[in-house]
Amino acid sequence: MRAKHNLAELEAVATRLRLHVVNMVAPSGQGYVQQGLGAADIFTSLYFFEVRMNPADPAWPERDRVFLTTAHNTAIFYAALAERGFFPVADLKTYVTDGSRLEINSSERMGKFVEATCGSLGQGLSVAIGCAMAAKRRNRASRFFVIMGDGEMQEGQIWEAAMLAGAEGLDNLCLIVDYNFVQSEGPMNLVMSLEPLMDKMESFGFACQEVDGNDIGALLAAYDTARATAGKPSFIKANTLMGKGVGCLEGLMFHQLRFPPAVADAARTELEAQL
Amino acid sequence: MNEALTRLEAADFINRSFKPLPRTYGDALVEAALADPRIVALCADLVPPTETDRFRDELPERFHNVGIAEANMIGMAGGMARSGEIPFCHSFCAFVTKRVLDQITMQAAYPNLPVKIVGFLPGVATLLGVSHQAIEDVAILRAVPNMAIFEPSGPEYHAAMVKMALDWEGPVYLRMKRPEKTPAAFTAKELRIGKGVIRCQGSDLTIIAAGLCVAEALKAGMELAGDGISARIVDMASLKPIDSNLILSCAAATGAIVTAENHNVIGGLGSAVAEILADEGVGIPFRRVGVRDRFCEGGTTPYLMRKFGLDAPAIADAAREVMQKKSG
Repeated sequence: MRAKHNLAELEAVATRLRLHVVNMVAPSGQGYVQQGLGAADIFTSLYFFEVRMNPADPAWPERDRVFLTTAHNTAIFYAALAERGFFPVADLKTYVTDGSRLEINSSERMGKFVEATCGSLGQGLSVAIGCAMAAKRRNRASRFFVIMGDGEMQEGQIWEAAMLAGAEGLDNLCLIVDYNFVQSEGPMNLVMSLEPLMDKMESFGFACQEVDGNDIGALLAAYDTARATAGKPSFIKANTLMGKGVGCLEGLMFHQLRFPPAVADAARTELEAQL
Repeated sequence: MNEALTRLEAADFINRSFKPLPRTYGDALVEAALADPRIVALCADLVPPTETDRFRDELPERFHNVGIAEANMIGMAGGMARSGEIPFCHSFCAFVTKRVLDQITMQAAYPNLPVKIVGFLPGVATLLGVSHQAIEDVAILRAVPNMAIFEPSGPEYHAAMVKMALDWEGPVYLRMKRPEKTPAAFTAKELRIGKGVIRCQGSDLTIIAAGLCVAEALKAGMELAGDGISARIVDMASLKPIDSNLILSCAAATGAIVTAENHNVIGGLGSAVAEILADEGVGIPFRRVGVRDRFCEGGTTPYLMRKFGLDAPAIADAAREVMQKKSG
C-alpha cells in the first residue's frame, strides 16, 4: 500500500520545475517553454510520487521506467531529473549550450535515466513495449510509463505498437498522452485530427481514462486505476494547457515561441509568487 | 489580447535569431510549380523549416501537410507520381531518408517515378542532436538504384537544385540547408546533373567537397595558398550521378585528392571518389574529411563543424598530409 501523497507539496514541486523551465529557456530562447509549463504536472506526478526509481542507482533493474518520447520537451524533463537528484541542479544552466549534454533533444548519453533516445517521433512506445514484455518474462514488477505527444500519434508505428500492446494485454504499460493539441504547424484538428482518440485506443485494447493533465491529484488517481487494471495496457489522455502557470502564456498555441526577456521576467515573478 | 502576448510570435526552431529567413529553395519551388501544374508539395508537419510556407499559401490545392507521418507521405507521393504528378516531399534529412528507406525503394525508386525527396538539416548541422542528424543519408540513398542525389554548397544554388530535380526523370534526393541570412551577391556557376564545378583552380592537389564543406574547402584553399600550396577546389553538387571524368582529370592533373563532406566518411562523397579512383587503378595520396564514423551531438553548426573535424582547418590539415605523402 502506498503512502498518501501530499498535494500541496507536489504542487510546490511543480511550480519549482516551471521556474526552472523559464530560467533554462530564457537565456537563449531555445527550448520549449509552453510545452514544459504544460507538462509540469505530469512530470511532477510521475517523478515525485508514482514512479519507483533510485537517483543513486539510475540503472536499478527493478525500477519503473519513464520514456519521454517527445524528446524535445527537455527543459521540464531535465528540471525534474535534476530536482529528483539524478544530476546537479546547477547543470541546468548549461541547457542547450555548445558542449553541454543537456541538448534540446534528450539523448541517452546523459545516463541511464534517459531510457531511450527518442527525438525521432513515434519510436519510443515500441521500445517501452519491448521492455515491458521482457519484464513480464522475468517476473519483474516494474511499470513502464510513456509520455507521448499528441502530434506524435500521427506516426504509423504508434498504431503498430498499440495494436501489439493491446493484443498482448500488457498491463504493466501506461501510455500517457500529453494532449496539448498543438503540433509544429498548429492546432491538431487543422493538420490531422486524432479524434475520436479514446474510441480508437479503446478499440486497440487499452483501458482508457481522460483526465485534466494539470491536476496532480487526478493524474495520481489515474495511475492508481492503471496499476489496478489487470490484463490491459492503460491509456491516459492527459489534457494539458500550454503555458500552464504563467498567465500571459497560458493557452498560447504555438509549437515554438519567442521568449523575450520581459516576458521571461514576468513569468519568473508570477511563478515565484506561487511558491 | 494581452500586451505581453502580442509580443510573442510563432517562429520556427531552426531560426536562432527569429528574424524572417530567406526562402531561396521555397521560392524556386513555387516558381517551378507556377510554370508546371504537375508539381505538388507534400510536407510532414515542418512547413517553415522546409521553406514550403509560400507554396502552402499560394498553391493550397496542390499542397498537403500529411502530419507527422513520413512513411505515408512517401507512399502517397508514389501514387501521385504514378498519376502524372511530380511530388516534392519535405521533412528533415534524417526523417525523409533513413526512416522511409523501404518506401522510397519500393514506391519511388523501383518504379523509377519522379518522386522528389527534399530534406533539410544536412549532416551534423542542427542543434537538435543525433535524432535529427543525418550523417548516413547519402550513403544509404547512393546505394538505391535510379536515385539521384544533389547537394547545394549554399543558397545561391538552391534554385538550381529545383531545376536539377526536375531535369532528372526519376527519384531525387535534395540535401538542403536553410540559409541563415540573405546571401550576398554572387555569380553562381551553372550546375548540371553529373557534373562537378571547379570553384577555384589549383595544381598541387584537388579538394573535392560538397554542401557546407565547399565554403570550408575554399577557406582551406586560401590558408594553403599562404603555405605555397595551390589547391584546386571542386564543388561536387551532383553526388549521384557523380562526375567521374572530372575526378580522374583532377587526379591526373594534381596528383593528390582530399574529399570533404558533412557526412560520415563511410559511404558518401569520399567513398564515391575512392571507388572511381580504385576502379581506374589510380593510386595517389588521398584523404577523406568527414565525420569519423561516430555519432555526434546537438550544437551550433560552426561548433559542430569544428568539433567533428569538418571545417577549414581540418581540411587544410588533410591537404598538408596528402602533400607530404606526395612529396615523400
